[in-house]
This record gives sequence, structure tokens and C-alpha cells, in this order.
Amino acid sequence: MIYFDNSATTRPCEAVIKAIDDQLGSGELYGNPGSLHKLGTNADKAYNKALERAASCLGCNKNELYFTSCGTEGSNTAIRGFVHRNKRIGNTIISTKTEHKATLEVLKLLESEGFIVKYVPMLSNGKPDLGSLSDMIDDDTVLLCFTHVNNETGALLPLEDIVKIRNEKKRDAAIFLDCVQSLGKLDIKLRNMGVDMATFSGHKIHSIKGVGMLYIRQGIKVDPLILGGGQQNNMRSGTQSLILAEAMVTAMEEAESRRDEAYVNISAVNAYLREELASRDAKILSPDDALPFVLNVSFDGFESETMLHCLEIYDIFVSTVSACSSKAKQVSYVLLETGVDRKIAANSIRLSFCRDNTMEEAKEFIGRVDEIYDLYLVKR
Amino acid sequence: MATNVILARMGEVTLKGLNRGKFEIQLKSNLKYRLRQFGKLSIYQSQSRIWIEPKDEGNQFFADEDSAREVLEAVTQVFGIVSASLTRKFTGDIKAIDDEAVDYVEHLLKLHPEYKTFKVEAKRGDKSFPLNSPMICEEVGANVLERVPGLSVNVKSPDFILNVEVRDFNYVYAGKVMGHRGLPVGTAGKGMLLLSGGIDSPVAGYMMASRGMTLDAVYFHSYPYTSEQAKEKVVDLAKIVSRFAGRMNLYVVNFTQIQLDMYKNSPQDMLTITMRRVMLQIAEKLAEKSGAKCLITGESLGQVASQTLEAIGITNEVVKMPILRPLIGMDKEATCELSRKIGAFETSILPYEDCCTVFVAKHPKTHPKHEDIEFAEKDLDIAAMVESGVADVEIIEI
Repeated sequence: MIYFDNSATTRPCEAVIKAIDDQLGSGELYGNPGSLHKLGTNADKAYNKALERAASCLGCNKNELYFTSCGTEGSNTAIRGFVHRNKRIGNTIISTKTEHKATLEVLKLLESEGFIVKYVPMLSNGKPDLGSLSDMIDDDTVLLCFTHVNNETGALLPLEDIVKIRNEKKRDAAIFLDCVQSLGKLDIKLRNMGVDMATFSGHKIHSIKGVGMLYIRQGIKVDPLILGGGQQNNMRSGTQSLILAEAMVTAMEEAESRRDEAYVNISAVNAYLREELASRDAKILSPDDALPFVLNVSFDGFESETMLHCLEIYDIFVSTVSACSSKAKQVSYVLLETGVDRKIAANSIRLSFCRDNTMEEAKEFIGRVDEIYDLYLVKR
Repeated sequence: MATNVILARMGEVTLKGLNRGKFEIQLKSNLKYRLRQFGKLSIYQSQSRIWIEPKDEGNQFFADEDSAREVLEAVTQVFGIVSASLTRKFTGDIKAIDDEAVDYVEHLLKLHPEYKTFKVEAKRGDKSFPLNSPMICEEVGANVLERVPGLSVNVKSPDFILNVEVRDFNYVYAGKVMGHRGLPVGTAGKGMLLLSGGIDSPVAGYMMASRGMTLDAVYFHSYPYTSEQAKEKVVDLAKIVSRFAGRMNLYVVNFTQIQLDMYKNSPQDMLTITMRRVMLQIAEKLAEKSGAKCLITGESLGQVASQTLEAIGITNEVVKMPILRPLIGMDKEATCELSRKIGAFETSILPYEDCCTVFVAKHPKTHPKHEDIEFAEKDLDIAAMVESGVADVEIIEI
């Protein structure tokens, strides 16, 4: 089996599985971190320890981090919570149309509530037009929402430039960054990034589904999305799960320790695939400087889904647009937004890698693509 | 203590002469099969009506009228049933009838607060009952009028008719749910339905089942051009058809290689017709195996290129079995309406790639001639294709 669908989700790594086993097996850490007895305080200590480890991975303070259920929850909380709480700063949100649905749907809702949302046009290199961005930011701007690494193309955000523009134009407008695809792949040290809020997901970095993290910089005020017993400094009520926290943090540490090595290996895999595919009937849609872990490619003569199923025959798993929206039978809005021709976008496949993928797999992939062209190509 | 029972009425079946008994036995057997999930039931006939009652007092499906409505709906989906009513069955004298009628009407008004007028119709089968039918009407009507506020009598066009029947037991009911009519499945032989995943073919299957036909179905699967989801969708559609048509087998033919061979070795503009000819031959072979005596398709004249008179003529030639096309003269809108009525529409319009639009030519021949098909098939080993199609089949019991 070749799994090239790591931007959809990843396989839980052994360290994570062991961490979960240890937790469940210990029999002593099931206490509610909110309880006042010994069992509770032990759980609370362990929970705080997990927070500290996460903070050290992300280069921030532990009281700036919250465990969530997923990346989407983080986006919802940060975006809605910030603009609702900070109306005095402004009423206009700036974003792009290539954001994940977890952002776009929230923005749609906020628009219906009376907020103004402006979308920065995208350039063909997958980056927002910074000139337009600079023009758009005005006194009414309250929040900028961007994605660190696009989940469909791997396009990298020129974050430093954006922070600089924000600092020049309107200092108190916050920046929310969707880091779901960049976590574990890029060096993320939140303290120095100029970002005010960020969301992360566990299952994209070999943890398990059901856990994510939200970063809210100290001093930034955000209304919580989930109300209740006031856990996690009133920011995210609901009894904390030590197991999920452990699964998240272990995955972060593991990813951090193997990040450089993975980057080098996957860069080579990516370069190889780009070269081989470009010499065939395929068009690379990811920008040249994209994160090497994502490679979007359009195969001439094969609709996305047909190619996906052809590869499936050989136990090779990839994805068409983003996995969440595949069933809707639409052409990727991300690709269309960056100016890709509709026909080419309709044939696009996303290959997404993780640190475990190898050059051997890439070679086999290319061999299978050739076989598929021989056996299954139907030109209309 | 009243029990909820269902009164179902037979239609066309009762017009049958000497064969009537066979039809009735089949209908009862179909009801039994269709209602098997609702616990142990007693299903018996009295004249042109069929009574359906729970055998056990504790049967949860008949416990209240809301849950019994689910059974009622299933009853109306059995071909041969014209209509059915949810009925209360109880014992006692006119006082008991009065009380039950009031309770029934109160319940009915909760469901239909718009009802303002009513009348009572009574039948007395038990001639020893002291009141005759007009007297029962009068008594029960007056009693309801007095005890249920806000209602008045309207004998010409009431909002509802309260039926009271006195036989070995007493019964009250109002209104009826229309059934799907037709003849009991199993009285008209078996047909092999070509099921594609679109809107038409499930409707075609439904229509033939309504004439008493038992069905099997065949689907041509072209993985990887069509996905597993597309196949699942066809399985779902087969399940919907089988609500009406009863048990069926779905034959999933692995069609990919056959299509690729055709694609590579015959002209584009005849591809659909060549393909359909092979499909029909495979379907006929499968039909012979399964005991079906005809093929059924969802074709409608002129709907697409392969459904012109010439194209149909040329596809017809390759099989001996009759091909039934119940939708041939139907408007698409009417087909969609039927599809909605049988609950298939939402599934039919799911977006998974159909029986391979990948292979459809941009400009197929709409008026193919004999020379065209001869030319199109000259480099194809049709017999081998048919054989391999029949051999590579997955059978799914629906």
C-alpha cells in the first residue's frame, strides 16, 4: 500500500499509540483535572505537563494554548470569538477565497450577522496579492484570516510580509493563522511570528482524530464558543481529556524531532515526482515554492475521480480536491481561484506526503501511472 | 381494550375469475413477507378485504397509532392493495362504541386540527346487534357531536367520515391511505431489469412489478471509471425497488474490460449502441439462468441517442427475449414524479458517475443503419465479450 493522502489524515504513529496505551493502562490518571481530590490533582498536573510540552514545541506560553476537538473548532472559536469580542477595533474581516471551509463558512455566517468580509485576490503563484491586501486594510479592519500552507496545493503564505503590512497599516487588527497543514512540517515558533491566533490539528501529524489545539496570544481577548464549567481558563469548557492531550503532544514532539530529516527526504521525493510527471501527460498545479509535502497534479485524459480509482486498484491512495468536499462532485475552488483552467482543475489529484513516505514509493507510483495510461486511458 | 389493526382493500385482484384464489394467496404471502419486520401477524381475508392484526398483545409496532402508521405505509406498498385504513378493534355494546369513537376522533383531531365537519357511516354485519346501521349512525354521530367540541355534521362533504362496523368485533376508523394498486408480485413471471443508477430504470422496475412481475436486476460496473459508491448507489436503488417488488438478486457485471475493448476496436459514434447490444445479450444470458422470461429497461423514446427508434431497433435484434420498456411513451417529468413517489429520486440523483459517461461519444449516431453496426462490430469478438461478462458477475441478494 502507498498512502499519499496525508493531508487528509495520517496514520497514528507508534509513539502516539504507546502514549495512549500507557495512559489507559496506568489506571491512575482517569481523574477529572477539575476534581479537588488527589486523583483530580494528579490528572491536573499531568494535563499541565502536556500543555507545557506543547508550549515548548510551539514556542509560546502554556497559558496561550487550549486543547480543542479539531482544527475546525479552533478556526470557529478564534474567528467568531475574536470579532464578537472586539467590535470596537472594527467591523471588517480580510481573508482569501482559498481558505479551508472551516474558515469560509464562518466568514459567511459573520457576513450574515453584519460583518464586512473582503477577499484578497489570489495570484497564480498561490499567494495573496499583497498590494491589494495593503489597500484593503483600513481603520475598520478587525481581523485577517490566512492559511499558513494551503491544504490543496501546498502554497506557502508570505507570512512575514503580511505581518509587516498589518503592523504598518493597523496594529490592533489581529491575524488568525490556520496551521493545520504546516504543523510538524515548518518551524513554527509562535512567539516570533506576529500571529495572534492559530489553529492546529492532531490527526494530520500522526496523532488521532478528535484533538487539536488553539493558540491565542496573551492579551488577545476572545469569546469562547463552548460554554460550561469554565475549564481551560473559561476558553473551552468541557472536561479535559488527558489521553487526547497526551496523544496530541506526543505527536507534536515526534514531528518536531523528525522535522528536518523529513523535510529533506520529502523534498527529494517531491522533486523526483515533479520531474517525472512533468515529462508525462501531467501538469503540476502546486506552485514551485510550495511546501514539498503537498503536490497537486492534473493528469491529462483522466478525471480526478477516475484517476483516484485507477490508483486505488494498485492500493495507492490519493485524494481529489480536499477529502471533505470530494463527494460534492465539484471542481476545486482553490484551484479555480488561483486561475487554473476548469478542465485542468477537473483532472487534479492531490498527492500529500508524510515523513514515512519514501523514494521507492514515489518510483512505484510513477510506474503505476504509466501502467494506468496504457490500460485505462480513454480520450474523448 | 381496543387493538390497532389494519384494514386493507384489494382492487384488480377481485376482478379475476377462476384464478382469483391464486392471486389472493400470493397477495397474502407478499404482505407477510413485506411486513416480516413488524412481529408476528395474523393476516386473513374476508371478502374483498384483508385484515392485518398483531398476534401478540405486546407487539410494539401496533402499540399506538403513530407506530402503526409505519406498518400501514408498508401495507400500501404491496401491489394488489388499493387502500388501507388504520382501524380500532374492540368488543362491547353501543356504549363501548360511543366511547371508542370519541377517543378515536379526539386523537384524529390532534393530527388534523383543520377538521371541522364529519359524518358517520355504519355497517352492521352482526344482525343480532340491537341497533341497525342508520341507528348506529345516529347514535354515534350525536354522541361525538356532544362530547367533542368544535365539530359539526356535514353529510354532503365532510372533512372526515367516521366509519363504524359491527361484526364479530366492533371497528372504528376514518380515512384511508391509497395503495399502489396493481397485481400481486409473483403472479406474472420474472423479468430481468437493467438497472443503471439513473432515474428511469428503478421506475421501470417498479412499473413491471406493479403488474405482478418478480424481478432480478443487472448492473454493469465499470470500475475504476465508476466508483464503488456508484455501485452502492445501485444497491440502494435495488433495495428501494424491492420494497415493492420483493426479494431480488442484483447481478453486478464487471464491464470494464469489455468496454475498453470496444473503445479501442470500434468507432466512437456507435459505441453506445454496440455497448447496449452487448449489455442486452449478457442480461439475456443471466435472465435465462435466473428463470426470467423478459428484459426490462428504462428507455424512453427519443430521450438520448441510443433511444431513438432506429437505435432501439438495432439493439433489439440481438436478443430473443421480449424487452419490456414501460417508460417508452412517458414524459421525463412524469417519470421523475413516479420516482419521487416510490422514494428513489433522491438516491437516483446522487452525483456518482453513471454507467460510464467516460465512454460516451460526443456525437453519437442517432439514426444508425445496419451497415453502421456491422462495421462497428466487425473487429469485435462479441460472443467472447458476452461470455466473459456472464462469467464475471457478483450476485448481491437484495
